[in-house]
Amino acid sequence: MLPCFSVARLVRSISIPVSVSVLSASVLMSASFAQAANERTLSTKFGDVTLSGDPQRVVVLEDEALDTALALGLNPVATLATRGGTGVPVYLQDRVGDIKIVGSVREPNLEAVFAMKPDLIIASRNLDKALYEKLSMMAPTVVQESSFATPWKESVVFYGKALNREAETQHKLDALTEKMADLKRKLPKDTVLSVVRWNPQGPIVMSDQLFVGQILTELGLKSAAIAGELNGRPHSDILSLENLSKVDGDWVILATLNSDGQAALDTAKEQPAFARLGAVEKGHVVAVDGQIWSSGSGMLAAESVLDTIAEHLAE
Amino acid sequence: MSSARSLLIPMLIALAFLSLATLASFVVGAGEVTPARALTALFGQRDAEAHFVVFELRMVRTMLGISVGVALGAAGSLLQAATRNPLAEPGLLGVSAGASFAVVLAISFGSSAAGLHVWVAVAGALGGCLLVLMVSQVQGVGDDPVRLVLAGAAFSSMLMALTTLLLLFDQRTADEIRFWIIGALGGRSADILSWTAPMIIVSLAIMLVLIRPLASLALGEQVATGLGHNPRLTRLLTLIVVAFLVGAATAAAGPISFVGLIVPFAARALVGSDIRRVLWMAVLLGPSLVLVADVLSRLVVRPYELPIGVIAAVIGAPVLVFVVRSQRVPTL
Repeated sequence: MLPCFSVARLVRSISIPVSVSVLSASVLMSASFAQAANERTLSTKFGDVTLSGDPQRVVVLEDEALDTALALGLNPVATLATRGGTGVPVYLQDRVGDIKIVGSVREPNLEAVFAMKPDLIIASRNLDKALYEKLSMMAPTVVQESSFATPWKESVVFYGKALNREAETQHKLDALTEKMADLKRKLPKDTVLSVVRWNPQGPIVMSDQLFVGQILTELGLKSAAIAGELNGRPHSDILSLENLSKVDGDWVILATLNSDGQAALDTAKEQPAFARLGAVEKGHVVAVDGQIWSSGSGMLAAESVLDTIAEHLAE
Repeated sequence: MSSARSLLIPMLIALAFLSLATLASFVVGAGEVTPARALTALFGQRDAEAHFVVFELRMVRTMLGISVGVALGAAGSLLQAATRNPLAEPGLLGVSAGASFAVVLAISFGSSAAGLHVWVAVAGALGGCLLVLMVSQVQGVGDDPVRLVLAGAAFSSMLMALTTLLLLFDQRTADEIRFWIIGALGGRSADILSWTAPMIIVSLAIMLVLIRPLASLALGEQVATGLGHNPRLTRLLTLIVVAFLVGAATAAAGPISFVGLIVPFAARALVGSDIRRVLWMAVLLGPSLVLVADVLSRLVVRPYELPIGVIAAVIGAPVLVFVVRSQRVPTL
């Protein structure tokens, strides 16, 4: 653990009693008691980190953590531009309020993070140690030890705990789990649903272990066999159009980074190999937001996935 | 005439090679249609799957590969003759990068029409060519083949950086733009051929007129002038033709580097350095190389595919090093 950690904690432990010194001794005691109760230890990629108190100025350098914070009704003060974008993912835009963008996934702007005076930083699992050390000089920094195939609910619990909303997070997750069970009963049995990212040269197959794959599995939907054969990679190279039938199923979901999903769908349909897929001939093809379906994760993203599935597949 | 005969044999060899490459492009793929099934489909047997794969997928990309190969092989040869630099190559000198940057710019301004992209690509390639012309006039750069390539590499990477920058500002184009950074033949619509093929044919027809004065450049400017040609005009017109060829090829398949380097190099090895002979060899060897690279791109990561731009670079970069190191760089 770095010395600056204890300095930060020291500063906080001094400033709280000072700011409430005008109050009665009993309030003071209960305040410090509450603070002690909020103390929580997270096991992170870079060792255990103990957090205390309710974070007020959270910087999230990770879309899934942003989703989680917003789902819990919290507003982080800053985040990174989402992959391939200049701001937060489109599906979160209405909720973020006044949020500062402090760099891109590839290059977080440390000075901008520092200027936000964060009291908690949540970073992505790809963060390297050098950056971690710099960030944790500014505020306690937590990085989940995870991979793309880590159960998404585990990550949400981790972020919920960091944000001091452990019980509420669990409560919301339970509600989602129930919602999924309800939806599962309404879905046709033995349905193969394939999720690909469309590229004019051919589709990119998304692993069935990613966030969306996990949700679909929980809903009892099957993925195309090829989505399970990626040997630990989150997505494939460009699939040859000659092999397009390998992603055929009862339904094909086209995730597109292009916010105009319909345009992407139209382009795809111009490709004769796509037009002759069984799912396409049946009209069972849906264009969806790739920021949710190919790179998203979190409770709000899950809600959106469930809504889409319910809209198109529920009987 | 002995020179005509000596050109005939290499051209027949190149033609045979091209026929083989074309056949390979029809029968070999990343999918489950085997060469045997493809052959039976080619000769009219009923096999719906094989018929679709061969005639809908492989035929389009084969025709595209041939036209792109003709364009890039010819463009490389012409650019080398015009700059008298055996390392001049549209991909290395930033002509292809100029074409694709222009298209990306057009896409990010909302254009989606394939027909327009061809003209935008030509305009971008023309910008790249004019820069080559300017740089080659600079004292000390124009006479040194490697320096010209360095200047081109710097220009290319600058354009590449700008393209990436556009990508950052405009996520709408993220998936579309990847194609404009590394070229690919798969999944391109046959429509694009109706734009690029005529452009390539017209460009080559213009070269029939230009080829004599261009060949005279190899004798030096004074001799060329003495023969009644105008070297500056010849150079300018040739570069415009190069821009049309590279623009058409880039609009069709995205930027593909090194084809314009390898092809004239091989052609010179077979028929000597006279552009009047090199050009016709290049027109046969270019498509052969592109088709071979494309077939490889289907095989290396089956059932997936690599963009042909990657394969071309993997083959081409060692050739560049080889040419620079082994040959003491021939003067043209």
